[in-house]
Amino acid sequence: MNRDKFRHFRLRLLIFLTVLGPGIITASVDNDPGGIYTYSIAGARFGYTLLWTLIPITLALIVVEEMAARMGVVTGKGLADLIREEYGFRTTFIIMIGLAVANLGTTIAEFAGLASGMSVLGVSRFLAVPVGALIVWGLVVKGSYRIVEKVFLVACLVYIAYPISCFLARPDWSQALISTVKPSFHFHSSYVYLILAVVGTTIAPWQQFYLQSAVVEKGTKLRDYVFSRWDVIAGCVVTGVVAFFIIVACGATIYASGHRQIRDAADAALALRPLAGHAASALFAFGLCNAALLSACILPLSTAFCVCQGLGLESGVNKRMHEAPAFYWLFTGLVFLGALAVMVLSEAKQIPIIVLSQAANGILLPFVLIFMLRLSNREDLMGRYRNTRLFNAVAWITCVVMIGLTLLMAVSALFPGRIPT
Amino acid sequence: MIYFTELDKLPLFDVKGEYLGRLEDLFVDPSQNALRVAAYLVKTLKNKLLCITHEQMQSLSVRAGQTSVRAGEIRYYAPDEGFLRVKKDVLDQQIIDVNHRKVVRVNDVDFDIQPSDGHTELRVVAVNVGLAAAIRRLLQGFVAKHTIRTITGVFPTKAIPWEFVNLIEPDSARRVRLRISYDQLAHLHPADIADILEELSRDEQKAVIESLDDATAAQAISEIPTRMQAALLESISPEKAADIVEEMPPDEAADVLQEMPPETSAEVLADMEKEEAEDVRELLGFEENTAGALMTTEYVVVHEAATVEGAIAALRHFEGPPESVPVIYLVNNNAVLTGAVPVARILLAEASMPLKELSPGPLISLQAHADGDSVVDLFHKYNLMSLPVVDEKGYLLGVVTADDVLEFVVNRK
Repeated sequence: MNRDKFRHFRLRLLIFLTVLGPGIITASVDNDPGGIYTYSIAGARFGYTLLWTLIPITLALIVVEEMAARMGVVTGKGLADLIREEYGFRTTFIIMIGLAVANLGTTIAEFAGLASGMSVLGVSRFLAVPVGALIVWGLVVKGSYRIVEKVFLVACLVYIAYPISCFLARPDWSQALISTVKPSFHFHSSYVYLILAVVGTTIAPWQQFYLQSAVVEKGTKLRDYVFSRWDVIAGCVVTGVVAFFIIVACGATIYASGHRQIRDAADAALALRPLAGHAASALFAFGLCNAALLSACILPLSTAFCVCQGLGLESGVNKRMHEAPAFYWLFTGLVFLGALAVMVLSEAKQIPIIVLSQAANGILLPFVLIFMLRLSNREDLMGRYRNTRLFNAVAWITCVVMIGLTLLMAVSALFPGRIPT
Repeated sequence: MIYFTELDKLPLFDVKGEYLGRLEDLFVDPSQNALRVAAYLVKTLKNKLLCITHEQMQSLSVRAGQTSVRAGEIRYYAPDEGFLRVKKDVLDQQIIDVNHRKVVRVNDVDFDIQPSDGHTELRVVAVNVGLAAAIRRLLQGFVAKHTIRTITGVFPTKAIPWEFVNLIEPDSARRVRLRISYDQLAHLHPADIADILEELSRDEQKAVIESLDDATAAQAISEIPTRMQAALLESISPEKAADIVEEMPPDEAADVLQEMPPETSAEVLADMEKEEAEDVRELLGFEENTAGALMTTEYVVVHEAATVEGAIAALRHFEGPPESVPVIYLVNNNAVLTGAVPVARILLAEASMPLKELSPGPLISLQAHADGDSVVDLFHKYNLMSLPVVDEKGYLLGVVTADDVLEFVVNRK
């Protein structure tokens, strides 16, 4: 009897561990260099006053990601597949082009993050970026991507440096906690812009596509959906908590120092001073490069996967090059264009591309969210797992707010003069 | 040849030239004729749905269509599950291309226009999955139809003849009404069926597996990853799952049952034939990745005193899988392993030769609790095709075959 019980417990644990993953990985890619920088700047410029946005953002993230994971488990199909089957070829094609453009921009930002991290260690971007691109490409095409993914995830534990550094810096905890739960607002244009940036870097279209495909790939059973939901919630909370500690650490150090400017990685690394002292730069650089490489693997890979699926082309890392040429060329193209842009263009010239990708993300997100809401309400697809009325109310409000904010973001990215920073 | 994309939203008129509406979908009635378009669904200006039967269609072209009757004679559309809807059920959906053993997504459907005593018939010719069809879908409605034909003519078309198209319909009742069978699929190699299964969602896998015979289903399922096997078998009824698991080699069966929750695996075991269930239960007792878990209980065994003639008789009566055949095992009166004879040697020997004399050199065997790596090492070192597994007393428990070792090594990567 005891042995049976143990076996049962072990089985439950095993199910949880096998289902675990997509949500956590999505969260880790979410904290990419763009995210780290955005949170750092938020803390450095405005101290704790932006902390309150994290709770609503995390909740919105949970609502959206839960929908994607649920659709994946119930239908067994990716988001691109569902959009294709329900809305036809042309709509899918346009969405996929948008996704590819947006994600190319984000990939450029990942390599820019790699370059920025390595520059702290004194490595030129002309060495760091091509080597990084080759590593990424080689790992996915020639190596075992599954193992690599795990190595990166373990390396993500470097984020623990932020909470530790936080505690050592002795921030004003009561003030930080009050700022987290009590909304405040400043009609300062760069404050508004940073809110938009935090939202934009946290909730992006690629996540929904990646998460749903990853859940499908895991083959999670309906019965085990609860575990999947916990995986998603845990991932979203991790994203929020990491952001919290980055902002508080920067608030307690950079903001408190009065300097309040982050121009490069060395500035952002000051937040880790209380923990690492003179090694702070190296620690920050390590975290940044790890985040950059993980995201530079997963983003192009999931983009190539989704685009091929939506357009009905062969895809998957278990296929060979000649079996799935479009998939491999798309992945290769994204990685190398991303790396090339960082090498060829000066930093000033990279910015318009990254801005454009933020705009593309902002324009794409409303469509993706609306498709998701409509699909997850379809009885023939979702059966009794379709959205409840309460969930729909929350989800529509979330989507409308998200759409408003991201459109504002897209507009301000394309016409920077309107919201001066 | 005319494409669905060109027919979609086609303006239709009645015999007097009165405008009826635009073409919304095409219906095939497989119970009457699997190739002919049986009815045309039309959306009127007032958003009403009309259903024109194939006898009522006078003429069709890429520009317009005309019926042979007055508008008043055309009936309104009433939903009919017995119709195959080209736009809803085929276009943009995944289908199985039996000829190329692949799952593909439909970009367009090709038709032939044929005059047939007094009216016009559309016949389904093929589904199109190529680049040309994709471009046609993109341009349709923005560019004139003949211009699209010129443009897409440059690109390669990839059409799958309708007879090789297997639709995937998760609803079993509808599958029967639409006469969807997977007979062609059953003739493919199980490994190819497995590749196809891996591309499908769970409900679709279920649809395919349920319509295959148990033996084919078992062979195909044996080739997909164990986790997917378990999920798939759990989703079908325990009786059908039991029928399929019975047909699987016992070691594979044990692996997949181990992946299931205890209640479900118990249910499946209870539904299995007693003998097969017993074999699997024995294997379930072994720890994962040990020789015991890797071995099968289906192998050829004879008494050590037997001759070549006896061995051949045993082979004739052997019902297990062919991968267990290459070596015949010898046991004494206490079922203790005493020898192993390669079948190749038996084939070349006289019928009266005692098997004992054909058993080469020292006997290589392993205990059931030995780990998977030592199994691999022995196979590698002694170039084995199969390896007997024994208990502490030398009692023969089972045999690890080369295919299982290969799978173990590949999965560990």
